[in-house]
Amino acid sequence: MAEIAWMPDRAPVVDMTYMAAPSDLVAPTNGPLDRTGTFRAAWRLLRVLLKGHKRLFFTAVAGASVFAACTVLSAEIVGRITDDLIRPRFEEGSVGTGTVALVLGALVLVGIVRGVGVIVRRVWAGRTGWRIAEKLTGDVIDRVVEQPAPWHRRQSTGDLITRAGVDTEAATAVLQPLPFASSVVVMLALSAVWLVLTDPVLGLAAVLVFPVMLGLNIFYQRHVDTYFDAAQVELGKLSSAVHESFDGVHVVKAFGAERRETERLAVIASRLRQARIETVRLRSAFEALLDGVPNIVNVGLLIGGAYRVRAGALTVGELTSFIYLFTLLVFPLRIIGYAFSELPRSQAGWARLRQLLDEPVEVDPASKLHRRPGNAVDVVGVVVSHDGERDVLRGVDAHVDAGRTVAVVGSTGAGKTTLVHAIAGLVATSAGSITVPDGFTAVVFQEPFLFAGSVRDNVVLGAPIDDDAVRIALATAEAAFVDDLPEGLDTIVGERGVGLSGGQRQRIALARALVRRPALLLLDDTTSALDPSTEARVLANLRATLQDTTVIAVASRPSTIALADEVLYLADGVVVAHGTHDELMASSDEYAQLMQAFEHDRDELEGGDGQLGAPTGGSGVTP
Amino acid sequence: MTVSEPLGRWTAVETIGKGVQEAPALKSGFGLTLALAMVGAAGRLAMPILVQQSVDKGFEQGEVQVGTITTFALIGLVAVFIGTFAQRTAVLRLGTRSEEALYTLRVRLFEHIHRLSIADHNEEKKGALVARVTGDVETLAQFFAWGALAWLLEGTLMLMVASVMLAYDWILALVAFVVAAPLAFVLHRVQRHLVKAYERARVDNAQVLTSISEVISGAETLRTYNAGEQYATITKRDSHRRSNSFIKAGTIGAFLFPSGEVFSVLTVSSVVTVGLLRGPDSGLTAGALIGFVFLTYRFLEPIAQFTEVIDQTQTAVAGLRRVLGILEIPTGPPETSHPVHIPAGELDVDIQHVTFAYRSRTDDDEPPVLIDVNAHIPAGQQVAMVGETGSGKTTLGRLVARLADPTAGVVKVGGVPLTQVANAELRTRLVVVPQEPFLFEGSIAANLGFARPALSLADVEQAVIDLDLGDWLESLPDGLDTEVGQRGSSLSAGERQLVALVRASLVDPDVLVLDEATSSVDALTEVRLTRALDKLAAGRTTISIAHRLSTAARADRVLVLEHGRLVQDGPHDALVAVDGPYARMYEAWVAATTST
Repeated sequence: MAEIAWMPDRAPVVDMTYMAAPSDLVAPTNGPLDRTGTFRAAWRLLRVLLKGHKRLFFTAVAGASVFAACTVLSAEIVGRITDDLIRPRFEEGSVGTGTVALVLGALVLVGIVRGVGVIVRRVWAGRTGWRIAEKLTGDVIDRVVEQPAPWHRRQSTGDLITRAGVDTEAATAVLQPLPFASSVVVMLALSAVWLVLTDPVLGLAAVLVFPVMLGLNIFYQRHVDTYFDAAQVELGKLSSAVHESFDGVHVVKAFGAERRETERLAVIASRLRQARIETVRLRSAFEALLDGVPNIVNVGLLIGGAYRVRAGALTVGELTSFIYLFTLLVFPLRIIGYAFSELPRSQAGWARLRQLLDEPVEVDPASKLHRRPGNAVDVVGVVVSHDGERDVLRGVDAHVDAGRTVAVVGSTGAGKTTLVHAIAGLVATSAGSITVPDGFTAVVFQEPFLFAGSVRDNVVLGAPIDDDAVRIALATAEAAFVDDLPEGLDTIVGERGVGLSGGQRQRIALARALVRRPALLLLDDTTSALDPSTEARVLANLRATLQDTTVIAVASRPSTIALADEVLYLADGVVVAHGTHDELMASSDEYAQLMQAFEHDRDELEGGDGQLGAPTGGSGVTP
Repeated sequence: MTVSEPLGRWTAVETIGKGVQEAPALKSGFGLTLALAMVGAAGRLAMPILVQQSVDKGFEQGEVQVGTITTFALIGLVAVFIGTFAQRTAVLRLGTRSEEALYTLRVRLFEHIHRLSIADHNEEKKGALVARVTGDVETLAQFFAWGALAWLLEGTLMLMVASVMLAYDWILALVAFVVAAPLAFVLHRVQRHLVKAYERARVDNAQVLTSISEVISGAETLRTYNAGEQYATITKRDSHRRSNSFIKAGTIGAFLFPSGEVFSVLTVSSVVTVGLLRGPDSGLTAGALIGFVFLTYRFLEPIAQFTEVIDQTQTAVAGLRRVLGILEIPTGPPETSHPVHIPAGELDVDIQHVTFAYRSRTDDDEPPVLIDVNAHIPAGQQVAMVGETGSGKTTLGRLVARLADPTAGVVKVGGVPLTQVANAELRTRLVVVPQEPFLFEGSIAANLGFARPALSLADVEQAVIDLDLGDWLESLPDGLDTEVGQRGSSLSAGERQLVALVRASLVDPDVLVLDEATSSVDALTEVRLTRALDKLAAGRTTISIAHRLSTAARADRVLVLEHGRLVQDGPHDALVAVDGPYARMYEAWVAATTST
């Protein structure tokens, strides 16, 4: 059965229906797997993985061993069918009914037991693999949650997701075929004993073929895997090229480069074709060979057997069962190769997991914040450097009284967001101290993150908060649109939920902060996706409902800045000026120029919420 | 017809027929491949026949005819060799031809998709297009690697085994078939449950990946709201559910082999019983009966596989149907067969009675986005189009760039209707700079060269300097060789726009369609952008899709669109002075941007 060789039993495609959706599980391959792992490394991996799950695993091995024993037994029974049933009937004319019942009964019984062995093996092998994968996923998630914000900022999100979701599965992939592979060893041992006991001469000759077939299988698997990996790499390249090309279709069309792009992709596709054809070339030859070799061995057995039968050392039935056994062994031998082919993937997955799990938990910058009663905020000599070279904040000092609303203003790269994040305890400071209120500090990010779940879930985030409080918070955040959503508070939002505009997402995120009645509210350009009038109402509501809350908001819109009690003007990582907007306009030329620039260029005619053209009652001074 | 819902009307046979038409490699030499597979199957049957012959003629009544057996064995050996070689050749032929076919399909898809109208490339459809080229074509590849091979090898083997069984003894053959027949039914049932179980498992798997990605992507939010543990618990719960689903599916799958096994021993027992009952007087021989034991095994072995192969085949046909569905979508603005040249020199743009509606998911057209728009833009004029989201200004820009054709009316450039201009020529005279410029992974030079691959590096550098961007070039770590990263992510949004402007200038077009960017950029880049834009626009007919009123204020002329209609047309100063949509927009803008 050439083409099914890579999966246990005769049911490969079933498991493939699951395997065949690579996009679900398998990350695009970026490079070839290292297939030079040692046996000792494999052994170590197994021992670590199986820790605490040995019972499951050895139940599977036991089932596989029953299967192995029954396979050899069934060959013996085929011999008996020949010698005890068919030959007496056809050569002597009759056979006892009792004998027939006994032999055929044994055949059926052994068949059923063999099947049960397979069931036990497969079910428990699956349980072993998935339970271990589950535990690994849990470990990774725990670690990820434990690590503080600065650690997360250094990670690639996609890479982390791959580790938690895909590598855990990859690390345990080797466990599925392993019980079968180990049973093949049992099967070969039993077969060898049985063959030699039945006929020492022919048996021994037959046993000598085992290592050859085993070696051939392992050799082939190693080679075909290398080719297969190479093809996967080409497939990955083609996929990303296709993604890129379709994403850039506007550019392609703008320059009339449709044909050029098709040709470029065709070259990549032809490499994939070539790699696949190479694989097929190897596969076709080896698989025909792997089918052919046992047949050639069987022809040899038949000739040798004829001599042994003539010498009276062997019966015809025994010879038949030798040949039958070799037919049965072809497939299990292939499984050894399959187990080997999963090993490198498991090792690579495991290595990536270890890397993540072995990394020490970093110090959370939030734990370094000083806390004191009251809602005032103090920032003293704070220095923050993102990459260890360039300081984003170069000694920031600021004092904010309780209950004030402060707008943090500055041009791009001045350090506004970094300052707010430092106060939130999300970035590590390299010098200085920050004192925040004792109570809850809520942060609303520039690009709010909504979880897949209901609006309610997204506001409460697992905290015991009743619907009334949620509704009040949504009202304060001017998120009344929630009532118009198909399911109200139960409407599913997030990646696969209803589509919300940027402004709507921001208002839900804002409600998430408000519902906790924070002592300190940090807004990172949060209201930028709102149109000016909605923004004004939100800020007014905020003041009305949370009088004591101190608000520090990054702002880049004059209308927002105008609503603040005071302005903290940053440039180049230091506070240039701190006062009311009017004071700053009067005292700082730079600030006045920045305002001018904002008024001139920044404002978009089309606000994120699309509520255009509703004049908000400004004084109408032409910029 | 849409990307995501392909033609469900084609039957499997029609689909395969059309597939073969698109990729003729599938058909070529298939007869020979099939014949070779037959020979291969015959070779794989050599052993049972050899056993039968030897038992009947070599081991008669205790006399062992070693010579006869050796002769048979050598004949068998030759058969095995020939069969092995034939099988290898058949597999190789199928493999190479299917890879050729897949390559042809992929390239056809690339070509077709690149030529689709921009309307078929929006965000929601893009995912489906990528899925067709990667996912569905891969499904086909998987099918050719396993399913098609199974049809070829196991199909022929089953046919041959059945023939040999019938030839040996048709009564025994019938017994075998009848006893084994329910297996197909049992397997079909198991398979159905299995597919369902795996579907469930795949949904649960997707849920785990979603949960994991949320905990990771939302890590900062979870941390600031102390909700990390709660969400970790949810993820672990999802992960536990996934394990359960896969274990359940695996348990169902574990019954496939044993059911085959049970039927196998039952069939062998029945055949042997009937054979013994009939005895030598019926003409049956001991060898044939032993041969039957081997043949039954060979016959039942592929059955379990076939239930899955049929399933995989259905999936593959569905994939092929979706792929072919893409090729049925009409391509973007059609290429004229009698192109007219655009006159040399500066070009005017004439928009005459233009109406446009996007094709919708159902075959009915959606309400028009543009209604009877008329405007003549003289050569060299700087025009800004303004209007709310959905006013149609972006669409009008696209029609001028001929990324789509109007549903009614005509757009002329230099007096020639766009529908009569060869696409290649148009792209040398008119260039669009999109809102979010897209850069390909590679160097800045490579991205600039995309506009005109024939240009030398010196020409490209000159173009950068011509746009007053020499200082920017010097600030880059590796100059023009600076890598832009995936989708240009190593550059700032403003720098990506700079690259796009230089890229456009390399074509030296006479008409420029600018979709203004909305992303904020730092002050220095802003200055560079303004400078480069002024240089680029000078002397060219320029149509800006303006998102900032300051741009409109600087233009020679403003076109105001509202709900698809051109409602105002004139210079900024004149439009501000009269009561109308533009003046209202302007007032709102002034109010929003004024701080005191």
